[in-house]
Amino acid sequence: MAEDTFLTDDFVRQLTAVGGVDIVVGLPTFNNRATVGRVLNAIQVGLAKYFPRERSVLINPDGGSTDGTPELVRTTTVEHYETLLAASPLRTFQRVSTVYPIGHGSGLAWRTILAAADLLGAKACISLSPDLESITPEWVDALVRPIYKEKFDFVAPIYRRHKFDGLLIKNVLWPLIRATYGSDIREPTATEVGLSGRLASHLAAQDVWRQTDTSQEGLRLWMTTLALVGNYRVCQAFLGPKTLGRNTARHDIVATVRQAVGELLRCLEAHEAFWMNRSGSQPTPVFGFQYGVAVEPVRINRARLLQTFRTGAAELASVLQSILTPTTLQQIQQVAALDDREFRFPDDLWVKTIYEFAASYHHSVINRDHLLQALVPLYQGRVASFVLQHYRAGAEEVEQHLEALSRRFEELKAYLVEGWTAKK
Amino acid sequence: MPDARTQPDDDPLWYKDAVFYEVHVRAFYDSNADGIGDFRGLTQKLDYLEELGVDTIWLLPFYPSPLRDDGYDVADYTDVHPNYGTLEDLKVFLEEAHRRRMRVVTELVVNHTSDQHPWFQEARKSRDNPKRNWYVWSDTDDRYREARIIFTDTELSNWAWDPISKQYYWHRFFSHQPDLNFDNPEVVEEVWKIMKYWRELGVDGFRVDAVPYLVEREGTNCENLPETHQIIKFLRRRLDEAFGSNFLLAEANQWPADVRAYFGDGDEFHMAFHFPLMPRMFMAVRLEDRKPIIDILRRTPDIPPTCQWGIFLRNHDELTLEMVSDEERDYMYDEYALDRAARLNLGIRRRLAPLVDNDRRRIELMNSLLLSLPGSPIIYYGDEIGMGDNIYLGDRNGVRTPMQWNGGWNAGFSQADPERLYLPLIANPVYGYQRINVESQLRSAHSLLAWMKRIIRVRKSTRVFGRGSIEFLHPANHRALAYVREYQGETVLVVNNLSSSAHPVELDLRRWRGMVPIEMFGGNLFPRIGEAPYPITLGPYQYYWFRLRRL
Amino acid sequence: MWQYIVGTLSTTLSQFFRGIMGLLPRLVAVLIIIVIGWVGAFILQWILKKVLAWVRFNALFRNTSLIPTLRKAALPPPDELLARLVFWGVGLGFTFLASSSLGIFGLQEEVSKIILFIPQLVVALLVLLLGLLLANFFGRATLLAAVNANYASPRFLSNVVQFLIVIFAATMALDQLGVGHRVVLIAFSISFGAVMLGLAIAFGLGGRDVARRILERQFPEKKKEEEDEISPL
Repeated sequence: MAEDTFLTDDFVRQLTAVGGVDIVVGLPTFNNRATVGRVLNAIQVGLAKYFPRERSVLINPDGGSTDGTPELVRTTTVEHYETLLAASPLRTFQRVSTVYPIGHGSGLAWRTILAAADLLGAKACISLSPDLESITPEWVDALVRPIYKEKFDFVAPIYRRHKFDGLLIKNVLWPLIRATYGSDIREPTATEVGLSGRLASHLAAQDVWRQTDTSQEGLRLWMTTLALVGNYRVCQAFLGPKTLGRNTARHDIVATVRQAVGELLRCLEAHEAFWMNRSGSQPTPVFGFQYGVAVEPVRINRARLLQTFRTGAAELASVLQSILTPTTLQQIQQVAALDDREFRFPDDLWVKTIYEFAASYHHSVINRDHLLQALVPLYQGRVASFVLQHYRAGAEEVEQHLEALSRRFEELKAYLVEGWTAKK
Repeated sequence: MPDARTQPDDDPLWYKDAVFYEVHVRAFYDSNADGIGDFRGLTQKLDYLEELGVDTIWLLPFYPSPLRDDGYDVADYTDVHPNYGTLEDLKVFLEEAHRRRMRVVTELVVNHTSDQHPWFQEARKSRDNPKRNWYVWSDTDDRYREARIIFTDTELSNWAWDPISKQYYWHRFFSHQPDLNFDNPEVVEEVWKIMKYWRELGVDGFRVDAVPYLVEREGTNCENLPETHQIIKFLRRRLDEAFGSNFLLAEANQWPADVRAYFGDGDEFHMAFHFPLMPRMFMAVRLEDRKPIIDILRRTPDIPPTCQWGIFLRNHDELTLEMVSDEERDYMYDEYALDRAARLNLGIRRRLAPLVDNDRRRIELMNSLLLSLPGSPIIYYGDEIGMGDNIYLGDRNGVRTPMQWNGGWNAGFSQADPERLYLPLIANPVYGYQRINVESQLRSAHSLLAWMKRIIRVRKSTRVFGRGSIEFLHPANHRALAYVREYQGETVLVVNNLSSSAHPVELDLRRWRGMVPIEMFGGNLFPRIGEAPYPITLGPYQYYWFRLRRL
Repeated sequence: MWQYIVGTLSTTLSQFFRGIMGLLPRLVAVLIIIVIGWVGAFILQWILKKVLAWVRFNALFRNTSLIPTLRKAALPPPDELLARLVFWGVGLGFTFLASSSLGIFGLQEEVSKIILFIPQLVVALLVLLLGLLLANFFGRATLLAAVNANYASPRFLSNVVQFLIVIFAATMALDQLGVGHRVVLIAFSISFGAVMLGLAIAFGLGGRDVARRILERQFPEKKKEEEDEISPL
């Protein structure tokens, strides 16, 4: 990291004043005035309660908020420690706020946090979203403890989600990562993660930071991947339900698929030596008691999903031809022809579809961005099928299905390897 | 007679500038080879104390006593324990001390007596004895239930059964220390007589033991009661009427807000120990964070202008952790008393040097804090040379071993057979008297003792430390504890690095812009203060004292 | 007379034969040069292929869209393409060089004309190729975007885009060749105008309902969606 000029003088000065720390808590913000106070209090109470003796610092890279978020971050204090903790914290709660230039994307926020963790010699570095409604002080403990006490390097969260929440992760990212890298990571794109100092330094030293257009999802997936392939000890921590503030922007499905799946495939290509000869998967240890809790139901407009899928299957035939094998394409078109009531996108077909997309991505049969866009309608078909199939199912039943799907991904991995290594 | 003091310095606020030295006669120097220190020995060593620079000697109890609580169980309030010499010896000592312009403060242990005291022997004879009402009796042991038990390691109840008169008697400390009944005017009058007696003999003031517990009332925790304050006000008034300049020091192990009451409107105690500050100084250095010290001083109320806080690092008792939260106590135990043998009651029975791993830099830093924070510092004997302790001696005896004068026979403390010493000497290779002793340190210009002399001299070069205001600076670096003391146009800036590593710190000194900092130990000038943040680089555990002058 | 005739004839013949005899060695030499040229071109092509394969030339283009682009244009992969270009270039070069050395009057001029025309032809072909590729790319991009945005008849939109780009490229290519400047411009204008008019009419008349449906779906339903749908992610 010879050219570390991205850190402003003021930021370096603030870091100097902080000196060495044990725990870095990263909180990237951008116009989060409404929710950041609660998150900040949860962090302060969490640190005071679970890590009262450790030296800790909050790093707040702000993307140029206009609503006074950084000021709030600098000044928010817990009013009644005594009633919350029956004690007051031993240490000063240190915080550093820095504004990075607008237009640099979230990559710089992450890079700032990791660089701070690296420079301050932190043993653990966690990150939290500023718009969390459901955060509790226990989240801090859940993310830090496995690293601090159990010598893990990477803590991915596990959220309690509604059965129809996080379907891209459930249907693509999670099973594909599990089948390829052999690690069971339920939330590979989460903001709430914990990193060991070693891993944080490793990530901070990567070249990827020069690309300023890296997306949030892509960045987090990339970090997860490096943790998986880099001989780091990985675990998961149960956090409970994740509820975001009302103002949080809703994701655009096309953009998300392009970023998340695109980054996943890019990583697969970069680390093919790691996963090519692996088979099966290892369970990842999970910390925390997984309590049950009612979660806000997620409703999905099935009609529109189906419509997009059918249009896509028909209109994109010429594009899909170059990506999929004739058999698979034919089967998809058969699925598209099914009546609404008996509409099903079978697991095996879905696995093969994903694998063929991955192989075609690798061989660059068409422009890679087009390839990812072509996946979107098919994914919507799969989601429609998933929702129809489990409309009345309980959470347990859905979990079983996902487990089965994930195993199919593992069992059919040879199919991916074959397509990947075939000469086209 | 009245007021044997001969010093020209008759400032009634002398205690504000004083540096106290706490010593037990028994532990200092044995002049008659019986293995126990005595007043003649103490008198012989006054030159040493004068040289050190201390100006007030606080003597632990030297009264006749069965010595079951190190003399805090008094059996006769008006005499000297034969082990320590005679009243004559004491008088000589007082004269010699005064000749060296030093003052002497003694213990007034009147919350309770020894059960061997004639008063208690009288009182327990029968329920209708005239002295019966001098103590607190009860048919049951469930009165004053809300009063906490202080010696939790040895006592189960504050009541003890007297088999002779078949009643329970009240004791806040050990069961062999029955509490006097301060609701009885005869007792108060008797206490006044004791005070008068010693003042006339030449003692300059009293450290009043266990003040909060004098009076008991049902339904309260029997601490800090208004009736207790009335008694103190009464005694103070009598004292002020009879003598010109007096000094009363309260031992009240309470939160600052509660201790504040013992200053009254300047009509109760002159000085009181600041108990909660002491563990927090240790905590701050271990946490490498100034927060504990600033927090506790922020929670410390203002006191009347004639009053003063007494601050200390270590004393003859355990490092008390009563005035900290559970979290803080656990931290202190884990960091300073990992060895369970070092723990006693709610505290840690260790001396300064072993507490900081015999790290000279930390010893110096702790003393820099002690001598520069608001209040009058009290140095515990032996800590000026970095003496060690022996936590296996039982109770608090481990920090009460003989003073180590040289590397010879019995550390130069006594000519007696080593087996006769009242407590064994510290003899381990690290803290033993062969290694840590006054004589060897006198030979080196860089010994801890030499350094202590120097810092005391620097402190006494100005009144700003004893009397000045304090203003904390808030540099972004929390490892730096910086404050400005000001008094009558004098300004001193103190910067301490609480951390074990080097740190830069930037101070906002704009209020003092244009002034030039002069380092007080070496007298060197530092760059003039300007508008910009003033940068200082601090080495590990480093401290700077700057006099700010307009040049 | 006869003798004159015979003499002339023999002179002519002998001149002819002398000419032939003079030309023949040159012709043979030319043929040999041509053959050597083509053989050399072939060998060069073979060597180049091996070298390119050895240095993994194609791998350079792995992450670019060149390979799929070439495939789409029914062209071989980059290493093969380069080798063939070298083969044809070297072979043709030798042929032209050799024929000019025959010293036949006029042939030299024609050959040089052909050689001068080649760059223009190549440029025109490249323009056309590029146009085809761009048409393909943007056509597909439009198709995907339209499908994912739920527009009606995405393929139609895609074809229009493709058609326009091809027309534009063809115009440029012909212009490059210098073939009937004016005709080309007029033809382009007419066809472009026709397409636009067609679109306008299609949307104005035939697509009235479609257009209404599209508008309906775009605006009023948006609110409803937000209420009952979070995100299928």
